[in-house]
Amino acid sequence: MRLPKLVLKTSNTSLVMESTSLIALASLLLLVQLPHILNLPIWVSLAGSALIGLRVYALKTPHNPNWHWVFSTASITTLAILGALCIKLHYGYFLGRDPCVAFLFLLVSLKFAEYRRSADATLLLGLSCILLLTQYFYSQSMVSAIVTLPAVFALGHALAVLRDPTHPLARKPQLKLVGKLLLQGLPIAAALFILFPRPPSPLWSLPNDAAGQTGLSDTMRPGDIGNLSQSDEVAFRVEFNGPPPAQSDRYWRGPILTQFDGYTWSPDSRQLESYPASEVPGALEYTVMLQPHNQRWLFALDQPVSIPEANGQPAPPSSKSQYASLSVTGQLKARKPITRLTRYTQRSTVSDQFRPAVGPNRSELAYPSNMPRTVELVNSIKAESDSPLDFVQKVMQRFNQLEYYYTLQPGLLGDAPVDEFLFDTRRGFCEHYASAFTLMMRAAGLPARVVTGYLGGEMNDDYMIVRQSDAHAWSEVFIDGMWRRYDPTSAIAPSRVEQGLRNALNQTSEDAFSTLNRFSWGSRLGLAWDSINHDWQRWVVDFNNRSQASLYERFGLPALALWQVTALILGVIALWCLWVLKTPLSQFTRRLPLPDKLWQQFEQRLKLHNIERERHESPQAFVERACRELPHCRAQISAVADPLLLLRFAQLTEQEKEKYVSQIKGELKRLRKALAEKPRYSASNTPTRSSL
Amino acid sequence: MSSVSPLPQSIQPSVSLVLDELDGVLFGKRHQCELALTCLLSRGHLLIEDVPGVGKTTLARALGQLLGLDWKRVQFTNDLLPADVVGVSIFNTDQQQFQFKPGPVFTQLLLADEINRAPAKAQSALLEAMEERQVTVDGETHSLPLPFFVIATQNPGEQRGVFGLPESQLDRFLMGLSLGYPDAGQERALLAQGDTRAQVESLKTRVDLSTLQSWMDAVDEVHIADEVLAYLHDLVLATRNESTGLSPRAALGLVRAARAYAFVKNRNHVLPDDVQAVFAPVAGHRLTGSVSAGARAADALIRSISAP
Repeated sequence: MRLPKLVLKTSNTSLVMESTSLIALASLLLLVQLPHILNLPIWVSLAGSALIGLRVYALKTPHNPNWHWVFSTASITTLAILGALCIKLHYGYFLGRDPCVAFLFLLVSLKFAEYRRSADATLLLGLSCILLLTQYFYSQSMVSAIVTLPAVFALGHALAVLRDPTHPLARKPQLKLVGKLLLQGLPIAAALFILFPRPPSPLWSLPNDAAGQTGLSDTMRPGDIGNLSQSDEVAFRVEFNGPPPAQSDRYWRGPILTQFDGYTWSPDSRQLESYPASEVPGALEYTVMLQPHNQRWLFALDQPVSIPEANGQPAPPSSKSQYASLSVTGQLKARKPITRLTRYTQRSTVSDQFRPAVGPNRSELAYPSNMPRTVELVNSIKAESDSPLDFVQKVMQRFNQLEYYYTLQPGLLGDAPVDEFLFDTRRGFCEHYASAFTLMMRAAGLPARVVTGYLGGEMNDDYMIVRQSDAHAWSEVFIDGMWRRYDPTSAIAPSRVEQGLRNALNQTSEDAFSTLNRFSWGSRLGLAWDSINHDWQRWVVDFNNRSQASLYERFGLPALALWQVTALILGVIALWCLWVLKTPLSQFTRRLPLPDKLWQQFEQRLKLHNIERERHESPQAFVERACRELPHCRAQISAVADPLLLLRFAQLTEQEKEKYVSQIKGELKRLRKALAEKPRYSASNTPTRSSL
Repeated sequence: MSSVSPLPQSIQPSVSLVLDELDGVLFGKRHQCELALTCLLSRGHLLIEDVPGVGKTTLARALGQLLGLDWKRVQFTNDLLPADVVGVSIFNTDQQQFQFKPGPVFTQLLLADEINRAPAKAQSALLEAMEERQVTVDGETHSLPLPFFVIATQNPGEQRGVFGLPESQLDRFLMGLSLGYPDAGQERALLAQGDTRAQVESLKTRVDLSTLQSWMDAVDEVHIADEVLAYLHDLVLATRNESTGLSPRAALGLVRAARAYAFVKNRNHVLPDDVQAVFAPVAGHRLTGSVSAGARAADALIRSISAP
């Protein structure tokens, strides 16, 4: 079925547009816009898609005069300016990821509505490619890659349609052609993916890339971790270079919080940097693939003994890393917020106590005044204890023996939250216990602090998944020159530490954990899916200059400089193009046989006078046409062509050949002169009277 | 360019003489006459397809007359029997044995008029004669005189009362031609002259049998360059892309026809132009079963292949 042609006339141009290419472009744009709908404000998506729909709808009534002004340059420009203003109003700023993508989204639709010439189609194809790529600003997961596949196919389809819009192929051969094109593109894409030089750091970075990502924040209020633990999102994945530690030893230290204002725990901003002295024997080595969380925390097991460099490898001992720092408190921190998937190899000593280079400071003894009952309790326990260690043990026993509940719904606390929690409600999540425990230690004169991070992790084949639901808080107490880890939660709900959060909650309370599935087949499916995602992240998203270098190394290839790789790739692409275009190299290098060369010269001479041989035109028919069109050169044309045709097609002796070749060469020169002369139409309209 | 005249001086004048004489009775059909002569010189049979009354029979008769060939004519009708074409064995009571009475096929030039009006059985009686140049009746094989040409005429398929020729028989015709109406000026001249029948009768024989034989031998000597042969092969291959294309037999016929056409055009070598000129007549009826539709298909194929 052939669709009607759309004829648009504006004041300056007459526009004819094949509806097949218009529809191909429309479907491409809609498919490109589709993945963005979730990322952009609803009015942008609606306006953009509606414009495309309107332009396609206009095909139905191409002669309606109203369309002329609707799609005129003036109205399109007005709409573009209006759109830009609205976007600025909506976001409050313009130069940023979201408003720019929204504006591009609108522009693509507007350009489509304004579609006139085939050059517009080329521009639209380019724009849609860019818009398709901006999708990866939001997500680089495998799902978002799969979502773009229909758009990629539509892109190929639009290219094929626009190649020759007046002779569209039937549907089936068209689809076959597009499929073939894309399949031919696959090896190029794969080769480029693997070989294309990758800079060690991104050429540009977008602010707020990880905005809205969940993760531990740098402060802790009651309920923070409880909220976080209801998210099943992956926080990071870990590959161990050796056997992973036991479940109860998987304390991933994150923000270390020392300041308490009666409600909120926050970190000490002034922290000295430390440099791990040398290789520590028995350190556990592992690689963390950290999801972007827009904070600077890097997570490590107990005590980090190395600092990652920008390339993800540990920095050499006793030196500073440009990428991250390690504080004397054992806090590992990147110098910039983590806004993209980050991979680093880390070494730690796994132990629940360690000796710091610098002793505790005064702020680690401070506690608020609104906890008189707690102080009283601490003093009474302290009186019974004969050493600090004994004291800590007694506090832990108290948590264990009295009725305390481990729950996500602790209830509200009033003006003296610590007292109320310890003596009245007795219901809390890990942050309540860690907070109360730390303050009790401080009240007893023992320096103590809260550490947040993750506890646990689930092994999936050869790697470990740590989710937001593994978020945890615990305490560290300074006794006898050592920081010792105490986890009061383990006293209340030991299974939290030993088996994980789900089991702990199932046993100790009636909390419904709706987001966590308890069916084994469901969780197995989830783990399989995470395994695929992990591979995707490991091999595709995380493929960087380092992986590239190691790949080269594995195949024994020399490490090439950036320009060498670029030259290599361009060369391979050139060869590929030659092969695909079926242009044999010999065509460039082969010397034509003499008769063909002479014929080529003859053709070129006539081509200068706008007589060009068509592909299928036979030589003699061409000569006759040339004679007809250049009557004043008729005699000279035949003088070249007759022996030339004999030379090319007749059976001649060598002497005859030589004779003809020299004859033709002479006649070719004369032909050039004859052609250069102006035709004397006034003098002789009859070609037979030609003076030549 | 006398130095490049390719054919012996003695031959060319008589070839153009024959063409001129043909032109005299068929007004403005020079190209078709050349092709018809080409077909005979390449030892092929000719199929002429057109509406009645445009000169199909005249062309066939004039050719026979001019080339001094012994010719017979069979008007094909829907009750024609095979025996009416090839002959029949009759019991001779005097000699007490069967005697073969040759049919009209025993001649040098057989004009099979309106061949597609006869049913398939009679049509196929021609098959063996055309390909093998011999006839078998009652188990006895009789050779046909040499040379042996069949010029068949047929009405376009859409006319009433026609039996389309089967592909196998179409393939036995080297060329299919269509004459078409003469253009206005030439038709006026025809009307002024009146009936051409008497004129055909009065045509003198211009070529004797040995000359015709020497022409055919000369056709075999015409040179075809590798480049031209490759082009011809490209065309043949192109016919096979879409549907059933040309058979190797047809391809060989195409080479012969291109040579003969070059000969008729007074050249001792084949140009790509010759290949293009004979491609539609040779390939057309084989590709579509109809001469006119075939010519269009063949032209489209020529346009799709680059010429050397």
